[in-house]
Amino acid sequence: MTSMKMVEVPLQIFRYKEGERPHYDTFTVQVPETAHVIDAMDAVWAMHDRSFTFRRACHHSSCGSCSLRINGVEKLPCITRVTDVWDGRAPLRLDPLRNFAIVSDLVVDVSSFFQRLSAAGMAITRDAEPSLPLSVDGLAVIGVSPKPVELPENLSCFNRFENCIECAICMSACPTMATDDKFLGPAGLAAIYRARQKTDNPIDVAHLLGMADGEHGVWRCHSAFECTAACPQAVDPAGKIMALRRELIGRRFKKR
Amino acid sequence: MASDLMLIPHVIIVGAGSTGAATAHDLALRGLRVTVIERGEVASGTTGRNHCLLHAGGRYCVTDRESAIECIDENMILRKIMPDLLELNDGLFVALTEADLAFKERFLEGCAACHIPAHDIPVKRALAMEPFLNPSTLAAVQVPDGVFEPFRFCLAFLATARLHGAVVRRYAEVTDFISSGKNVTGAKLKDRRTGKSETLGADLVVNAAGPWAGEIAAMAGVSVPEVPTAGVMVALDCRLNNMVLNRLNKPSDGDIVVPQRATSVIGTTSWTVKDPDLISIPPEHVERMISQGEQLLPLVRKVPMRAKMAVARPLIARRGEDARKVSRTFECFDHAADGANGFVTIAGGKTTTARAMAERVADIVCDKLGIATACRTRDLPLASYRLFYQ
Repeated sequence: MTSMKMVEVPLQIFRYKEGERPHYDTFTVQVPETAHVIDAMDAVWAMHDRSFTFRRACHHSSCGSCSLRINGVEKLPCITRVTDVWDGRAPLRLDPLRNFAIVSDLVVDVSSFFQRLSAAGMAITRDAEPSLPLSVDGLAVIGVSPKPVELPENLSCFNRFENCIECAICMSACPTMATDDKFLGPAGLAAIYRARQKTDNPIDVAHLLGMADGEHGVWRCHSAFECTAACPQAVDPAGKIMALRRELIGRRFKKR
Repeated sequence: MASDLMLIPHVIIVGAGSTGAATAHDLALRGLRVTVIERGEVASGTTGRNHCLLHAGGRYCVTDRESAIECIDENMILRKIMPDLLELNDGLFVALTEADLAFKERFLEGCAACHIPAHDIPVKRALAMEPFLNPSTLAAVQVPDGVFEPFRFCLAFLATARLHGAVVRRYAEVTDFISSGKNVTGAKLKDRRTGKSETLGADLVVNAAGPWAGEIAAMAGVSVPEVPTAGVMVALDCRLNNMVLNRLNKPSDGDIVVPQRATSVIGTTSWTVKDPDLISIPPEHVERMISQGEQLLPLVRKVPMRAKMAVARPLIARRGEDARKVSRTFECFDHAADGANGFVTIAGGKTTTARAMAERVADIVCDKLGIATACRTRDLPLASYRLFYQ
């Protein structure tokens, strides 16, 4: 086995157990220089404290479960390298997402997020773009222009999962959530936008736009764009909220 | 009413990975009282960190036909019960060398023997379908591979199980079992949200703890012939392929690139580990994934890495056997003969076959508890995974 360059990283972790006072615990763990923050969290759990709870599943930004705040900023620790967020001195601070009830340590109750996504009714799969490659951050990284793809004879289109991984980071980053706890929120409204794009059925369109136009819909948004800045999947929820506003305004003018 | 409810047997399932989730669904549907105990989040172990490949069975059709048939049969069932949770773009088995090409006839025979629909397609067509595939491809065979998301896969099974009365306890860790004579009669747990310990009675315990099944079995005083076998996967910052790309040869390291959403995931390596709790990723395994992956998709090395992960798979074997040669099928162990009645382990397998694993273990559970209800999970569409959190 080739030797790995290791770093000793201190983690200051938010701790809370039912009935106890919240506080921070600091642990120092040794991880490879190339480790992601989730690997350091894993080391805390495995080597120091089995009562430490956090959410995780896929470790490659597909499940959306491990979202939290690193030094106050919403991130997915599975794709955030330790060396990219740690200054090499001060402990790396880990906090749970904002705007959700805390269950235990870094685990929050995401039911309010999934209620919003269910209300929007967006399917998690969609038709694919007719070209490859595809990237979350744009293709400039590898300097290859997209090439068209042909379909196999037995398929009418390629399909793929929606870019939104339902990590709830946007709802944590959104300043409007604190002013209206029923606000449909960035992911909820972005899902309404995607569901609306997928249908021309007038009844469905009226229902979706009705939700977006309601008391807790697009007009609540203060246009801070924090959701778009924080989204790890470049979903651009704020852009989708603005697009819904444009459609709603357009329809009002048409009626007159 | 309450006393009637107490007559219904209660089953504890240890583990909320794909096996535990599918077993909870199967048993709840057969009318049993079910409690799933999971020490972390759903799918936080092996299932979560898997390659996301909905196997058509091609990978095993030459070396392990039993697994191959299980895969294609379950592939077709999952398309019916979770249609919205799959990327269904098929897969290609690609020959890059003369040795690969020589394997093609055996591969096609294997597919035919395992009723896997396989189409030998012209290389020119394959390159038009997959523009970044290695242009020196010599042959391509199309099979009905697909892609799932393991986390949502488990949530859908558990959400449906909950609609049928199952209870899912996350952040609760089994610390011991209680027994009366040779009968296992319940479990001791520690709730990690509160730090409190408690005892939960049960008529039967199903051990579905994946590579941790040996650890759980030891608490009941029995053993499981399982070898935790780790694998490394590398996720790229770009999706370079629409279809699953497999190397047309016997299974080996880094011979599959599974695309998903906006990424392509190269996998895997394979080595035996002692402790599945903390696996460090050997850097040379990451390099091997890149160098193998770029044979299928030459752009691989140019694309930044988005993530890398490793996890232990629960293979059944005796220590010392070559991990690649161990069958990928699954096995149930009724530990009554070892002195732990009411304790059953379901081990091995893969997420693609989780429903079949659940059916097999649920049959054994129902037989032991004297329940005659048949399995209904083959046809019943699952509830929305989003309901799990509501």
